[in-house]
Amino acid sequence: MKRYIAKRLLQTIPTLFGVSLLSFSLLYLFPGDPAEFVAQIRYGIEPSPQVVEEVRRELGLNEPFLIRYVHWLSHVIRGNFGISWTEGEPVIKLIMQRFPASAELFFATFAISIAFAVFLGILSAIYKDKAIDHFCRIFSLLGISIPSFWLGLMLIWIFSVQLHLLPAFGYGGLRHLILPVLTWSFSFMAIKTRFVRSCLIEELSKEYVVVARAKGLKDRVVVLRHAFRNALIPIITYFSLSIHHLIIGSIMVEVVFSWPGLGSLLVESVFKRDFPVVQALVLISGVMFVFVNIAVDLLYAVIDPRIRYGE
Amino acid sequence: MLTRREFVKLVALGSASLLLGCVKRQSPVIPTPTAKETVAPSEYKAEFLLGYGKDHKLKGGKWGIGFFPKIHVLERLVEYDLKEDKLIPSLAKKWEVEKNGKTITFELNRGIKFSDGSELKASAVKFTVEWLANNHPLGQETFEGADAIDDYTVSIYYKEEGFFNLAKMAEFHMSIMSPKSVKPENSPKGEFVWPIGTGCFKAVDYKEEQYAIYEPNPYWYERFELKPKFKKFVVKFIKDEDTRVMALKSGQVDAISDFVHGGSAYTPRNQLGILSSMGYKVFKRNIPLTWIIAFNYKKEPFNDVNLRKAVDLAINRDDIVKIFDNQVLPAKTLFIEVAPGIKEAKAQGVVYEFKPDVAKQIIENGYKGTRVDMIVDKSQSDQILVAQLIQQQLKNVGLNVKLEVLESGAYRERRDAGEYDLRLYYVGGTDRRFYMRMFWRFYPGQKWSAYVSERTGELCKKVLGEFDENKRKQYLVEFYKAIYDEHGVVPLYFDIMTAVTAKDVVADYYHMFHYPNGTPFGEPLFYYVGVKA
Repeated sequence: MKRYIAKRLLQTIPTLFGVSLLSFSLLYLFPGDPAEFVAQIRYGIEPSPQVVEEVRRELGLNEPFLIRYVHWLSHVIRGNFGISWTEGEPVIKLIMQRFPASAELFFATFAISIAFAVFLGILSAIYKDKAIDHFCRIFSLLGISIPSFWLGLMLIWIFSVQLHLLPAFGYGGLRHLILPVLTWSFSFMAIKTRFVRSCLIEELSKEYVVVARAKGLKDRVVVLRHAFRNALIPIITYFSLSIHHLIIGSIMVEVVFSWPGLGSLLVESVFKRDFPVVQALVLISGVMFVFVNIAVDLLYAVIDPRIRYGE
Repeated sequence: MLTRREFVKLVALGSASLLLGCVKRQSPVIPTPTAKETVAPSEYKAEFLLGYGKDHKLKGGKWGIGFFPKIHVLERLVEYDLKEDKLIPSLAKKWEVEKNGKTITFELNRGIKFSDGSELKASAVKFTVEWLANNHPLGQETFEGADAIDDYTVSIYYKEEGFFNLAKMAEFHMSIMSPKSVKPENSPKGEFVWPIGTGCFKAVDYKEEQYAIYEPNPYWYERFELKPKFKKFVVKFIKDEDTRVMALKSGQVDAISDFVHGGSAYTPRNQLGILSSMGYKVFKRNIPLTWIIAFNYKKEPFNDVNLRKAVDLAINRDDIVKIFDNQVLPAKTLFIEVAPGIKEAKAQGVVYEFKPDVAKQIIENGYKGTRVDMIVDKSQSDQILVAQLIQQQLKNVGLNVKLEVLESGAYRERRDAGEYDLRLYYVGGTDRRFYMRMFWRFYPGQKWSAYVSERTGELCKKVLGEFDENKRKQYLVEFYKAIYDEHGVVPLYFDIMTAVTAKDVVADYYHMFHYPNGTPFGEPLFYYVGVKA
């Protein structure tokens, strides 16, 4: 097992290298002159070519790509993502300021979505082609089709403007969390419900389920203890890999509800061409994805006793 | 290796602590009031809440604070009265221009205090000028230096001659701050840490992207013999325009306001009429910010003044303003009527008209079947609608427009490379930026220019150089006429600045757009507002 973990960790090195290269390249892939954007935002004026040139020199944008990349990477390895071009503050500080709000929103949405997706997915699978399945299908379809920003605005209109029950925007206590979580959960759980359903239906059609039923086991036991457990591997893989939503998934929700999270930081930074922040967020998102992937692989052995690594 | 039971326990524990973390979170702590002088009369609520679309950047950092605090926390030596085309006293009582504007000596009003209680003296002005010269491009290109002649007299030395120096002193960035606003204190190269000004508000708390809290500056209210109607003025940053409107409707904020810079983060124009009909008070002011069609006049086909004229005559401005629910005015002159020289130019026939038949004829006589490219910046969503309508209007006269809606960076790349024929742009700004943007848009050699020809460039130089009001007005009229004759740009509509308040808010138009001494402001001011308890 330890050897397996060590091997997987070693394998991440080229992947992380690729992720870092891609993150850094964003600066060169985006259209427009970042120095002009930065000068305009910093000074609140329409900068002259001389000012733009000065900013370009200050940001080191005249340096060749490789020199800049190596310089950036050598700092990133030591946990230094540099200074924000438009805020003048360390990037890591900006990210840590926004992280709690993002984590709160993501994990609350994640927990609620999983609970509902699993519950509705199981119901749909058990009552396949019955009324309840049709209901879940429509629910999922709506979740996939309705844009988050529209749903968010509708929820604000109902719960804040009409009923005066919940705040329309902002970050604060539990009351502020309800509408953003509801909005995001709706789309977040839609595809997952369909996924749970199809995984479970596939398992329920297997022979061991027929045997279990022939043995006289109760339906509940057959579905939950046998079929669902076997369906868990793809479900967990799929659910866990949505961790990248922590940064990028909530952009629309954060914008509509003025939620000060990482999604809105990413969008603002892209618009402002604040590349140190964009690069850091993309890199962190990529690294998280890689490590969650490893963690999920290790989880398989916990879920399914048949899986043993390094044996 | 974990057992399954242990794993389940671990996950349950993790989830529980996460949820607990969510539940226990407290709302941001708002510090208790400190200023004893700022007691609001009991008939008003202690807090006034404003929804605003942009962060105030109160910490300043290396590059200074946002536009809202520049207007509410700081003041300037002079203000600009657009209607009279006059720079009028503010912190400065009077001034003397020497060497055709290379030196301007300002005499300060006495007894003006910063919100920390210290008195405004010439040394603070000298410090501000030096700080700007060291830290801000506008300061760098404007100032040579400053000298405090005595406690209340300061001479500012400029790099160039001309009236433009004085006009610039009313600009947002030329706001005077206390030397204690930077760290180390009084250092012209210091980092801006917290704005301390002489304006109506005192900044007391701030959380990036969430809120800014102000208190009335007691010395300012005393100066104008006013009493504030709130103890705290809390600005909530609500980026989404629709959410801002709904926050007002739900009662979570008492007012919403446009970004004071103009041109973005504003209340949707098609909501203003609805809000007004619902009983909200809508305060609206026309500003000298005009949206235009800018041509790539340096290359074919728009290097031909005739084709530019055809576009000009093909535009039905009355239809364009319908996109904004008629809340904005169609631009039949280059700037709003109260802008200097506009009435006089109008009297001389400088009026942009809708004559599709003439436009059609011009196009048929040499440009039939011509296809042109129009680029629009995606970040300006209203402009996409305007561009689509223009595309249709030009098609009606026989000009085919290929419309490309581009991401901001791509838009700028195309603009800089000159790979376009038409684009939407704006000239002017709020009142205080009238001459500043004239420089950026029409002065020869500017990166952000809209149109420059030998004639217009020369006239623009004369306008910005001339101290004599009458002569300047004459140059302005000639300038408008030149732009009109050459069809340099096509004015479309005039932008507005708005603030909307709830029904129980005490506010009026005069105080919203005027200083207590009667100085007109292009930006909404909130010193006079209050919410009835």
